[in-house]
Amino acid sequence: MSGKILRIAAIGGAAIVAIAAAVGGWTVLGPGPMAFAKGGTVELAAYKGPSPTGVPAALRSASLVKRGEYLARAADCAVCHTVPGGQPYAGGFAFNMPFGAIYSTNITPDKETGIGNYTDAQFLDAVRKGIRPDGTRLYPAMPFGSYTYMTDEDALAIKAYLMSLPPVKSPPRANTLGWPYNQRALLGLWSAAFSPNKRFEPNPEQSPEWNRGAYLAEAMAHCGECHTPRNIGLALNNRQKFAGATNAGWRAHNISSDGDSGIGNWKTEDLTAYLSTGFANSHGVASGPMGEVVDYSLRYLTPDDLKALVTYIRSVPAVAGDLPNRVLTAAPASYKAGPAATLAGSGDRAGERIFAGACAGCHDWTGVSPLSPAATLTGTRSINDPGATNVAQVVIAGVHRQVPQDILTMPAFGHSLNDKEVAAVANYVTARFGAQGSRLTEADVRKLRSQAAQQ
Amino acid sequence: MKGTLQVNGVAHDVEAPDDMPLLWVLRDMLGMTGTKYGCGIAQCGACTVHLDGKPVRSCLLPVSAVGDKPVVTIEGVGTTPAGAKAQKAWIELDVPQCGYCQSGQIMSASALLANTPAPTDADIDAAMAGNICRCGTYLRIRAAIKRAAGTQA
Repeated sequence: MSGKILRIAAIGGAAIVAIAAAVGGWTVLGPGPMAFAKGGTVELAAYKGPSPTGVPAALRSASLVKRGEYLARAADCAVCHTVPGGQPYAGGFAFNMPFGAIYSTNITPDKETGIGNYTDAQFLDAVRKGIRPDGTRLYPAMPFGSYTYMTDEDALAIKAYLMSLPPVKSPPRANTLGWPYNQRALLGLWSAAFSPNKRFEPNPEQSPEWNRGAYLAEAMAHCGECHTPRNIGLALNNRQKFAGATNAGWRAHNISSDGDSGIGNWKTEDLTAYLSTGFANSHGVASGPMGEVVDYSLRYLTPDDLKALVTYIRSVPAVAGDLPNRVLTAAPASYKAGPAATLAGSGDRAGERIFAGACAGCHDWTGVSPLSPAATLTGTRSINDPGATNVAQVVIAGVHRQVPQDILTMPAFGHSLNDKEVAAVANYVTARFGAQGSRLTEADVRKLRSQAAQQ
Repeated sequence: MKGTLQVNGVAHDVEAPDDMPLLWVLRDMLGMTGTKYGCGIAQCGACTVHLDGKPVRSCLLPVSAVGDKPVVTIEGVGTTPAGAKAQKAWIELDVPQCGYCQSGQIMSASALLANTPAPTDADIDAAMAGNICRCGTYLRIRAAIKRAAGTQA
């Protein structure tokens, strides 16, 4: 190799190292999840206000297992550690990523395949540092970067609850990650850079309600793990906190306080209803992973905790999203009129035909359902997403919310419609009822299906 | 809910759970069994009734959402001009085979005819695609709609 090439290679190499160091420094030094708030933090023990951690007042005198149950629900352990329709907490839930799949583990007290032999110290290390008893590292699909803010007492209450469950013998499924993602040792570097191993610190300049909400959102519900975009190192980028991101084939929308693209324009009662029942007027029904969050976790929060959570979420600064403003007016009553008529006018009427047969009966040609406000498409964030990610997923998987009131169900069309048909109907409805028609292809839908697949 | 339902121009006092589908109320409480239960998930159209003139799937419409809007069922649609024309054409062309879906077909067809007196094939597709017929009477349904509209002999 000539000297000139070597020199270029050396300069190139040095530049890459320098860029990596700069990017690394920028990300490592990135703000923590609560750094946006005015005021400094103090250690929990030094905080004078009412305790922001633990269970609500009404449950303080309940048994350890009962308290653990409330906290396990607040931390939403069940949804990822349970295969849909499978044994609770027995693991096997798939996280499908472009570079392979990770499967969640069995956290029932089975001694061979679960966590039956875990000591308190081992449990705390797994939940808060992502380190298993044998020293190997967990993938950050386990949100230990958020759970790290949990107190010892709360994490151990959750352990007591898990240990009270019937043990299920269910061996872990082997992950299917390719190189270099299958090198668990590298995860130590990831944790060193991105997981602070730090407990929750309240902010005395914020209200007690805000502090409780911060604990619930960050240490427990780990909202940011889906709603905050990730940086080049796949760590949460809190400079864009709650600005929205796509995970497992679903779009987690912007929940910063930005007016239209976030939740800035939502009424507080709508936000509370959405989180606790999975539905709010003119905002549609929580579906996919967010629907599961409501089903398994948020609907169990006490009204005070819900209020605290809403207070905290609303305090997160606005980050403008990249989606167009929502269309809030109904489409014309006739199928012949409206924006999607142009799409149909192009000669491609497949989406319109599918809509007429399978969708119009509930959703109406106007998008405002005569049957239930929950089936109204007009004004929802997902119908106004020109990516149509969630629209396609809802068509495939349907909606099955387990909420006490109303009928929140939509049949799954994933088996009766092929990829091309799902794309056609998604493109049609986003054009007819949303801000801008999507351009999904058959291949896009195939990809979305595989990302959300559980088997 | 406890209230009054306007069905086919007659007021009925009804006491039912809020989330009970209108179809249950019509069939089990008011004894109007002309409207059929098909799929129960608004996918087949057999349960179609008119709510304020619009065709809706009564199997998923909570009775509490009806309010004071008038409901018209297959038992009463013959008193509307479009409904009378549809029923006459249905009889003349002997549209039904087994007949189970036909109440819903006539309800959707008469709502179409009331708004679009001379529907094209595309209009018929858009309005009727959500009404499924296991016997495959679609061609006769299309012909009957056109006969009722006076656009075909």
